[in-house]
Amino acid sequence: MVDISSKSGNVSTNRKKTWHLHGKSFPILYLLPHLIVFTIFFLIPLIFGIYIAFTKWDLVRTPVFVGWDNFKTLLFSHSIFHDQLTSGLWHTILFVLISVPFCILVPLLLAVVLNTKPIFAKFFQGLFYLPSLFSISAVVIVWSLIFNPNYGPLNTLFHLDQVWTGTQPWAWMTIVILTVWWTIGGNMIIYQAALNGIPQDYYEAADIDGASRWKKFIHITLPSIRGQLLFTIVTTTIAQFNIYGQPLMMTNGGPNGSTTVLMMNVQQNAFGSGQSLAGISSAMAVILGICITIVSMVQLFLLRNKD
Amino acid sequence: MKKAQILGAIIASFFLSFGLTEVFNPVVHADSNKEIIFWNPFTGPDGTSMQKLVNEYNKTNPEYKVKNVSLTEADMYSKIPTIVNSKKGIPDLQIVHVERIKDYVNNGLLDNYNPYLDDFSDINKSNYVPEAWNNGAYKGKRYGVPLDIHTTFMYYNKGLVKKYAPHALDDNIVTFDEIKAAGEKSQKDGITGLGLTWWKPNFLSLYDQLGGQLTKNGKNPSLNNQTSRKVLQIYKGLYDQKITSQDGQDPMQLFLTNKEVFFPEGIWMNNQIKESDVKYGVTNAAQLSDDPDKMVNWSSSHQFVLLKQPKRDKAKTEATLKFLSWVRTNSLEWAKAGQNPATLAITKDKEYQKMQQSFLLTDKTEQESLKIFNYQYNGYLADYLDRYAYDSVFGKTSISSYLNKLQNTVQDEVDAQMTD
Repeated sequence: MVDISSKSGNVSTNRKKTWHLHGKSFPILYLLPHLIVFTIFFLIPLIFGIYIAFTKWDLVRTPVFVGWDNFKTLLFSHSIFHDQLTSGLWHTILFVLISVPFCILVPLLLAVVLNTKPIFAKFFQGLFYLPSLFSISAVVIVWSLIFNPNYGPLNTLFHLDQVWTGTQPWAWMTIVILTVWWTIGGNMIIYQAALNGIPQDYYEAADIDGASRWKKFIHITLPSIRGQLLFTIVTTTIAQFNIYGQPLMMTNGGPNGSTTVLMMNVQQNAFGSGQSLAGISSAMAVILGICITIVSMVQLFLLRNKD
Repeated sequence: MKKAQILGAIIASFFLSFGLTEVFNPVVHADSNKEIIFWNPFTGPDGTSMQKLVNEYNKTNPEYKVKNVSLTEADMYSKIPTIVNSKKGIPDLQIVHVERIKDYVNNGLLDNYNPYLDDFSDINKSNYVPEAWNNGAYKGKRYGVPLDIHTTFMYYNKGLVKKYAPHALDDNIVTFDEIKAAGEKSQKDGITGLGLTWWKPNFLSLYDQLGGQLTKNGKNPSLNNQTSRKVLQIYKGLYDQKITSQDGQDPMQLFLTNKEVFFPEGIWMNNQIKESDVKYGVTNAAQLSDDPDKMVNWSSSHQFVLLKQPKRDKAKTEATLKFLSWVRTNSLEWAKAGQNPATLAITKDKEYQKMQQSFLLTDKTEQESLKIFNYQYNGYLADYLDRYAYDSVFGKTSISSYLNKLQNTVQDEVDAQMTD
């Protein structure tokens, strides 16, 4: 009898353990579809891409491992690939430096204004968000018509004779303007949600203390949405580092390659008209990835909540 | 039990979603038994013409019907290496630009036609435009059968030519000097003499007229020299004198609104230009000399190729060649798309002879002026010319800097290639 009860006790404990395990592992199983997609479409390509950076490959034959050769060529040689990396990276960084502040400040400003609940607030919210729904091709078509030197409204209205996409700094200006217009919506919605979450008590207390609007914005609003600001700064920076479609379609990298960003060189080397130089191209992409990681980490460090 | 069911449902729906994707977006596999899967980059109006051509062939009740699959050009070219590499779903017949053939052969992407040609005696040199036919062969084997030979020639505004260059077309050759003279007169009335259009054909055509060679040893580019400098100087001279369209101007728009005398463009644009109100004619591309024997008209060719198959089906390949043989004598539909079919049979067709582009094939001297620039590393050269285009002509960089970068870019890319 003793033996039997002892055995049944063990069985009961095992069952409990099994169900306990199920209980813990069950949420993970819910994540399975995402994990599978993540592994297939992100993790494996990422690892393969890094591996390709250490090879010579034409997308057809078996990749040949060449160690650090591609990185040495890109970083230290006098080849055209070194020029492509340095100029492409510089143009990318330049674009990030110019566009990110606008991509943060303009949506923030609009969100603050909309948060005061002006007339037609919902309409304007929809209007500002609308460009985010367009594809980059549609956005570029719209703006290239606006900036068209012959029949564009800008030159026509102001009686100008400016080739906007053919001369600097105007070429960069066109790219930045269309990028800001295109990306306002996403960040604006995040800021609006954050602003809605700030307790009105803070502002009422500040009013009693006689704080100005500016002081309230600096000392209440900004610190209250610090987390969202940090998030949008990092994600916007990463997104702008990956700039590709805007200069490709708006300026074709010109004038004289001055808006050719690194992703354009990555794409052309891998999928241009000649034999693919996928190894070099992948190495460029890895270097860009490292730069993005470093910049994001620096941003996170600088903007971390010291409290 | 309920948990297990939910879990099962999640996993099943995930995999089902992939399955349904396959159902609604079926990949057109080449191993469909009695079907020739034919990939091509014709997605515009020429795609409609190709579909009509294929439909006409299928109406003849062949044992193997052709399935036309049009892909955007960039998408198609990026798919080719990967699909051949994967050894699955490889199309039975493929159209590529002739300049790709050497590169594709060297990369093991193509099968040759030689084992099958004995049974198709009509697919031979004497039945095709020589320039298109000759460039379909490489290392003594035939890899391409030409569909067409498409050329950049020159459209001209009839009224404006009458006014500013009444004798320029007497010999059907318009020289740069004649363009310059016309442009000097026309600019006083705000009319542009010459449109600066697609740079690659304009550059290569003039480079060849001046005796330039893209390579001297078949491998290394020869692009930074006195000849290429001269090409840029000629165009820059015309640009600086405002004979040509200016930076930012749309040369096609100028032509269509009667504000441009000469407009170099591809023959394939003719159907689009026809829809406008402009009264125009067509002639050879701008030439340095009025000697017909020295004429150069930049051309390229769409060629039928066989992508490498791990196990080539003999019967299906023969059926594919039957289709090519049929196309050779039934190319009028393709000519209607504005193209010049590469088969000489078309030159006897009355309807074709009335088409504007036909003079390039029906006249022997004109036919000899068609030049395909088949440098093995043409892709790298084309990428540079397309990206930097008229930058030195527009004064955004110096001529020497432009050419220096052109030479170094192509050379470094050639050197970085994967070799056996």
